[in-house]
Amino acid sequence: MKVVPALPPLIVAAGACLVLLLGLVSNRRIKRDGPLWLGSATIIGAAVMSLVLWGDRQEALGGGYRADRFSMLLNLVFLACAFAVLLLSTREPAGVDRRGEYACLLLTATAGMMLVAGAGDLIVMFLGIEILSVALYVLCALEVWRERSLEAGLKYLIVGAVGSSIFLYGLAFLFGATGSVQLSVIGEQLAVASFTEEPLLLVAIALVASGLAFKASAAPFHMWTPDVYQGAPTPITAFMATATKVAALAAFLRIFGSALTDLVDTWQIAIAVIAAASIVIGNVAALAQRDLKRLLAYSSIAQAGYLLTGVAAGTIKGAEAVLYYLIAYAAMTLAAFAIVIIREREVEDGDRLEALAGYGRARPVLGVVATVAMLSLAGFPPLSGFIGKFLLFGAAVEQDLTWLAVIGAVGSMVSLGYYLRVLRVMWFGEPEGGTPRKMLTIPAPGPARSRWSASASARPCWWTSAATRPPPCSPPDPRSAGVGRAPPWGGGTRRPGGRSVGP
Amino acid sequence: MMEGVPLGYYLGLSGGLFLLGLFGVLTRRNPLLLLLAVELMLNSANVALVGFSRYWNVVDGQIFALVVMVVAAAEVVIGLGLIVAVFRQRLALDVDGLSSLKG
Repeated sequence: MKVVPALPPLIVAAGACLVLLLGLVSNRRIKRDGPLWLGSATIIGAAVMSLVLWGDRQEALGGGYRADRFSMLLNLVFLACAFAVLLLSTREPAGVDRRGEYACLLLTATAGMMLVAGAGDLIVMFLGIEILSVALYVLCALEVWRERSLEAGLKYLIVGAVGSSIFLYGLAFLFGATGSVQLSVIGEQLAVASFTEEPLLLVAIALVASGLAFKASAAPFHMWTPDVYQGAPTPITAFMATATKVAALAAFLRIFGSALTDLVDTWQIAIAVIAAASIVIGNVAALAQRDLKRLLAYSSIAQAGYLLTGVAAGTIKGAEAVLYYLIAYAAMTLAAFAIVIIREREVEDGDRLEALAGYGRARPVLGVVATVAMLSLAGFPPLSGFIGKFLLFGAAVEQDLTWLAVIGAVGSMVSLGYYLRVLRVMWFGEPEGGTPRKMLTIPAPGPARSRWSASASARPCWWTSAATRPPPCSPPDPRSAGVGRAPPWGGGTRRPGGRSVGP
Repeated sequence: MMEGVPLGYYLGLSGGLFLLGLFGVLTRRNPLLLLLAVELMLNSANVALVGFSRYWNVVDGQIFALVVMVVAAAEVVIGLGLIVAVFRQRLALDVDGLSSLKG
């Protein structure tokens, strides 16, 4: 049994375990900087391995993992997203506080995505989707002191678990209809026998499409997306909006574009309807949003619709268009979220649209980056977003899905309404002042005292919106800072007054 | 092909469990009960997998079912952890009460 072709996800998984251990080291400097360096090294190592394996298909783990150009290209996309998110998280409260766990979960999710992209059978595909989902449930809720983060985590867990169960049930029926879990064998079976009227297979297609639509946050399974995207820590939102969507689309292409490709007449209309619904609902709902994270969440629903247009075409050309657009989309979305992350460090509630008023004039470089990202997301002609949409809609038109391409084009025009509104606020809005966010300070390494007090001083001081609402788990009570009480989140209680330093 | 219990019975049981789980997810409001309902859905897929595995006389489905069990356990652990965290924040243990995010 060959293992070497499966090395990229294995390297990332091994890195995740080591990073977790680094977070437990008592040396404060290693504890603080180690996870970032080791995480980066892991990502670079896996990327190099992916490039080495670039080429024709090689199978590993008894056909469970397939290293081909498709999976290696997507590996690079996942790794690039993970690297960007790792760097963007360096000053996030959740990331600062528990860097080991944070980097570990991020790498675990990445390994799951790589398994999805390279899955050769249904078991590995399901396992990959679950590995990435379970890691993301925790990442969403990692800011446990923030009610919204917890709420987002719990919502994502329940909706995600329902989506996974529906997907799994579909996979079980796919196995039942063909008698194999190997994607290639399923494809061969469907090619030789006429299965078009097989009820098991129809049920399987419906369930698998619904389950994956949950993961790709395509309408009508998108309800969780705005809430979870808004509540989660912003770097994690960026990760979900990019890498998770890429993984879900990879699963779509692996199952529908490759294994079920002979049944294209059966599933084409279903995917096309999901795509159309996503484009309409995402774009219309985004028009009404005042919160940038929610706006980008609805925009990502619409983008899932554009991407599914290429899947619905069911051709090689459509799949290539999806891959191109995925890469362009990941870059644009990461850039857009990076602006939100930067603004959130500076002011309270930096994800509101008003918080960005006049920001383009104050920070021209960031303003230009945001402008390019927004215009590209909207599909403005010279930018990659336009080329991607052109390829996607072209592939759809070739397969007599002209109506879908028309919906996509109209949706893109509608989307200009909200993307341009963000730009108008950024460049022409009057700065509102805003409540400066109390900056986090990372305490310098010092001698460790007792177990709890050490972690108490290691804990960074997240901003406290003292004027409005004290954070629910920061008791201003000296008694609670003792050793006698179990720390609420395993990290010790904060000392009152702590290390909050004003801006 | 297969002796003993016919495939239809496995699928009937599995479909019933799946619908029961789906019904629970749609109607319940306590996150603990929601988790239980999701477990029911996952395990209904297990029943179907094992039934199909017997029908085709291959072990793939059984291996799949074992993997699903591990995944389900991991999901419950995370779910319970989150519910405990919510409880410690003194938020209501009712998903309708978790509504600070909407719009």
